Amino acid sequence: MVDSLFPSIETTVDDASPESRRKRRRISETAKETAESSEINQESLKRWRTNRVQQIYASKLVEALRRVRQRSNDGGKITSAAREIRDTADRVLAASARGTTRWSRAVLATRVRASLKKHKKAKLTGARKPRKDTAAERKRSKLPAVERKLKILGRLVPGCRKVTVPNLLDEATDYIAALEMQVRAMESLAELLAAAAPRSMLTRP
Amino acid sequence: MSSRRSSRSRQSGSSRISDDQISDLVTKLQHLIPELRRRRSDKVSASKVLQETCNYIRNLHREVDDLSDRLSELLASTDDDSAEAAIIRSLLNY
Repeated sequence: MVDSLFPSIETTVDDASPESRRKRRRISETAKETAESSEINQESLKRWRTNRVQQIYASKLVEALRRVRQRSNDGGKITSAAREIRDTADRVLAASARGTTRWSRAVLATRVRASLKKHKKAKLTGARKPRKDTAAERKRSKLPAVERKLKILGRLVPGCRKVTVPNLLDEATDYIAALEMQVRAMESLAELLAAAAPRSMLTRP
Repeated sequence: MSSRRSSRSRQSGSSRISDDQISDLVTKLQHLIPELRRRRSDKVSASKVLQETCNYIRNLHREVDDLSDRLSELLASTDDDSAEAAIIRSLLNY
C-alpha cells in the first residue's frame, strides 16, 4: 500500500553504489514513515468520524453509565455525578481505540493507577514537584515559543509528554478526532434524553 | 512499534527539533483545526497553529465537561423510568 504512494523512491533503489543505496533506504524509510503517518491520520479520521462509530460509542456509554450508577447506588460513595460521567465517557472512548494509540493507553492506565492510589497514600505526586526548580528548568524556559507550545500540546494529550514530534502529531490528530466524536455522541445523547423526558423537565424549577 | 519510533528520535536529536518536522506538524494540524481551516492562508505561523491546537483541545475538554453536567441532570431524571431508558437504548441501536 505504501509503495503506491512513493513509486519514484522505490524504483531508484535498484541502481548506484551501496552507500547511496543506504542513503536511499534511509530516505525511503522516512518517506514510508511519513506515508504511514499520513495513513494513520486518514485512518483516525475514518475511525472516529463515521456515524456507526458514534452510535456504538453512545450505546456503550449508556451501558457503562448504568453500571456505574448501580455501583454507586449500592456502594454509597458520594462522587459528583458529572465527574463520574466524564470519567466513564473518557474510559469508554479510550477503550474504543483498542490500545492502538498512546493517549488511549495512558487514559486507561491512569484509571488503574488512580484506583490503586486510593489504598496507598499518594507519595509519588509530592516527590515529583521539586524538580521544577533546577537550573536546567530555568534554561529550558528560554526555549523558543514553538518548542514551548509543543510541550504544552504534549501535556494536553494524555501520555504524550516525552514523545517525538511526528509521534505527537499522530497522537494529537487521533485524540482530537476522538474528542470531537465524544462531544457529538454526548450531545446527541443529551438531546435524546431531553426529548424522552419532557415531563420531568417541566417539573424542574 | 514503539522501538521503531524511539530509534527515529535518536536521529532527530533530543534538544533540537528539525524545522522540517515542525513545518510538517504545522501543515497537518492546520487541516484539523476548524479555526485555521477557515483562514486558508499559508502564512500561519507555527506558534499560532500550536496555540490554536492547544486551545481547541482545551475547548473540547470543556465541552465534554459541560455535556457531562447536562447528562448528569438528565440521567437523574430518567433513571426512575426504565421505559424511557429502553426507548433510548433502542434508538441508539438502530
